[in-house]
Amino acid sequence: MPLKWVFFWQPNAGSTVNSQILNEVSQCVESINGVKEGRWKATLTFYKPMLRDQALSADFPREFIGISLPEQPNKYYFVLRFNKIVLESDSSIQLIMEKLQSYKSRVALNFEGFQYQLGDFQLRVGKVVPSHSENLRGIVMEVLYYYFSSAIEILKQGAFYIFFNIQYWYRLVPVSSCSFLLQVEYLPISSLEKSKQIMVEFSDIWKDAISKRSLAGHFIHIEPNFSDYGLADHYTSQHTAVQYTHVTSQLIASVQAVQTGRN
Amino acid sequence: MECVVQGIIETQYVEALEILLQGLCGVNRERLRVHEICLKSGPNLGSALLMPKNFAGFVTSEVRLLCDLEQTVKHVGGAMRGAGAEQISVLVRSMVESKASKNVLRLFYSLGYKLDHELLRVGFTFHFERAARITVTVSSVNKMLKLHATDEAVPVTPGIQMVEVTAPATSENYNEVVASVSSFCEYLAPLLHLSKPGVSTGVVPTAAAAAASLMSDGGGTIL
Repeated sequence: MPLKWVFFWQPNAGSTVNSQILNEVSQCVESINGVKEGRWKATLTFYKPMLRDQALSADFPREFIGISLPEQPNKYYFVLRFNKIVLESDSSIQLIMEKLQSYKSRVALNFEGFQYQLGDFQLRVGKVVPSHSENLRGIVMEVLYYYFSSAIEILKQGAFYIFFNIQYWYRLVPVSSCSFLLQVEYLPISSLEKSKQIMVEFSDIWKDAISKRSLAGHFIHIEPNFSDYGLADHYTSQHTAVQYTHVTSQLIASVQAVQTGRN
Repeated sequence: MECVVQGIIETQYVEALEILLQGLCGVNRERLRVHEICLKSGPNLGSALLMPKNFAGFVTSEVRLLCDLEQTVKHVGGAMRGAGAEQISVLVRSMVESKASKNVLRLFYSLGYKLDHELLRVGFTFHFERAARITVTVSSVNKMLKLHATDEAVPVTPGIQMVEVTAPATSENYNEVVASVSSFCEYLAPLLHLSKPGVSTGVVPTAAAAAASLMSDGGGTIL
């Protein structure tokens, strides 16, 4: 499972997000040789309880979110941010929620845009818009690190190169036909801690590239405390779902801050 | 959607039923041990249901968690209605299942669902590929004396096991599936009678003779 960091655009004080920034960000990815691959879309839905007595709403979760991710089209994720729960299930759970008639979707946000390949990294740049509307609410960027892609490339080429920062070992196993089997196993960089350094280095390169465009804001990555959700150090799509939930809360907070500033 | 019929059989004839199913299926049985947790929405949760004379009722929703090696969320909805549905001997109802990660019980508790009851089903299943994939489940239903204490479960109906025949269906093909399930039930008729859930038909008088016949043939004929 590749490791992913989700960034969101934080406008400078007094400025707001606009589609020109989104264009500049996309151009920036292409300027550092990002190859456009296609479109992507994730959806985040806020659910609210259908209550008989609204006065008792405090007894129910403050925030109940459902997420569909493009890399897991048959799965669906529920996140209760204040209860620190993330659930992975088949996408049919949405139909069950509909039939239960205890929670209904209040508002849905689409995260959509283009996907780029950049060496061992995959970048997704996207706008955040409410469904049934084109009002830009934010910009997100996903950076996905394919820790195993180099290993696959080597196997494709049929030759064995020793790559810096890939740990490997091999074993020769004689078999009866006097030929031998060469088994190469790679230790993927699966641990969040180990791969963090690679992401930090990428972030520095990215910051350098985007800063040349003098945009009124910057991308922020805030890593949620995954262990609070009972998630292990090995990265999964559940980590991504948690990141989206936290990014969304940050986006809402920054929009509210701008509105408060205006008032 | 699914098509379903149920019946009961005395435990002493379960072995004969297994021989019969094994013969029909040709594939070995699968063991079944499912901890079933039934949850209901709390008193304040659920949509309003408009009823005649301005009386507003509320929908209490019910969801089941099936826990074996994996966790499955199961919702069984209302049965198909109408004159056509009355005439057929198989119940057609909406059913949705979804596999989920292990913390699904915690999620539903956090959403305001309460434990209604829990069961432990122990037995076996056979699958048959007919017009649809028919699943026959033979199980003893056990209750827990203490919360989640599946190791200390005791049978709800000692000496009696439950048989359930189910098959997935869609609104397009349910007629075919119903016919397939009905004809399949005829194979089992000497041992047990299968009917729509909630329509209890008890054990059949021919069970003892049918079981004896199956058991004596079970070893095959020695020449």
